[in-house]
Amino acid sequence: MYKLMFRKYFLINLLLGFLSAASVTAFASQDDAWVLLQKASQAARELSYKGVFVYQSGTTSKSVQLTHMNSGQGEFARMVVLDGAPREVLSQGSEVVIFSPKNEKIMIEKKRGQNMFPALLPGNMDALKVSYQALINGSERIGGRDAMVVNLSPKDQMRYGYRFWVDKEFGLLLKVTTMNQRGDSLEQIGFSQLTLMEGQSLDWYKPKFDPTKSYVMDLDSPAKANTSEIDWDIAQLPSGYRKVDQVKQPVQGKALPVTQMIFSDGLASISVFIEPMAKGSKAKVGHTAVGATNFYASINEGHQVMVIGEVPEAAVTQFANSVSFKNKK
Amino acid sequence: MKEKISALIDNDLTLDDVEYLMKAMKANQDLASSWSTYHLIGDVLRGNDLLRHDVTANVMREIAKQPTVLAPKASLNKKLNDNKPVVWSIAASVAAVFFVGLVVLKNQSLESNVGSIEIAQVLPSEYLRAHQSMSPSNAAYFIQPASFVSANYE
Repeated sequence: MYKLMFRKYFLINLLLGFLSAASVTAFASQDDAWVLLQKASQAARELSYKGVFVYQSGTTSKSVQLTHMNSGQGEFARMVVLDGAPREVLSQGSEVVIFSPKNEKIMIEKKRGQNMFPALLPGNMDALKVSYQALINGSERIGGRDAMVVNLSPKDQMRYGYRFWVDKEFGLLLKVTTMNQRGDSLEQIGFSQLTLMEGQSLDWYKPKFDPTKSYVMDLDSPAKANTSEIDWDIAQLPSGYRKVDQVKQPVQGKALPVTQMIFSDGLASISVFIEPMAKGSKAKVGHTAVGATNFYASINEGHQVMVIGEVPEAAVTQFANSVSFKNKK
Repeated sequence: MKEKISALIDNDLTLDDVEYLMKAMKANQDLASSWSTYHLIGDVLRGNDLLRHDVTANVMREIAKQPTVLAPKASLNKKLNDNKPVVWSIAASVAAVFFVGLVVLKNQSLESNVGSIEIAQVLPSEYLRAHQSMSPSNAAYFIQPASFVSANYE
């Protein structure tokens, strides 16, 4: 397709030499932008670095200390939340252990890997190319480092836009903001300081030990749900989205686990929860939003439907309205 | 003292200190629990926590799941024949309760749910937490968990 357009531009090229120069540059920067993002995805996993990043959503902001090392033995990372409760995350490859203080206890939770900042971007850009357009938008200085700015604009209203700042020298992702259609920043994460690390020592790879607290394993982890025991589906997935998981999830205040499907376009993710309405429980309905997260709740065939995602209102609404039950009575 | 436990586990302690520490741990419940916590953390990070983690909680949970035996213990010693009427009457009452329960349950599910909650008024933070814990790229899960969001939400 590009080739075809390229040829077209090539013809115009012959007629209007100076105009074509501009359009060729535009195409080149599309490709360059994807290359930069690909590089950022790799650098976040391959390099060893430490620093402090700030997470901002709505009116709140929190600093997190991050140490990441890729030694010969693979990827190790430790994150400590510096404001408020001293939550800690230690990860090795895709194994993640979260230590969170809860009254007199420290809960230990084991999870499968997530794409955590600065390794937010997926390893393969192809999935993103379906849903977004990438463009280089100049350069800026972030946390004392020079960065290239890449805009990722959504091709439809089913997801937000993003702006990435990628370190010119190391290719590391320095900052990302999530933006709505008007270009307002809804959420952002960025390094306030960052240095590359030398050496292979893993001395730092342990949580701070608080002898006054008792440490307890959190065993309420979600169980994989078989497709056979789920009697609903999302009839028409918006372009770019695919189902990444389905689980039976224990939800606080619910006697039975709730069925949850998780959808992602590579960056944005949406959860759909469905459960039969319990007697006496009040139906949850309507729409609301907190920061970049939109909520949509409705009742469908005696079931409570709840859709939550870091996506625009149009997307959660469409997912909720696309729920269809296999065995209609 | 607790720093010494850490040092012992990391193999950074002199032999004299080790002996002293062992005695202290035997005498002091707190120190003993620090010792096991250190090992729990180490095991979780190394990925072999299955052998060690909070067995007590697991056992208690399994016990709680077991049905309560209604028949008095003494009846176990009697002959089976003597038992039969008791067993049957229990079975009958269980069946009766089950049947009544079924009817009630059926009626309940047919009953329309009265009233509804606008989520704009009450944020469904329990679902938000579940969403955050599963979504493939979400910094918010550990930095800013749902319980925190709802506390700030007005």
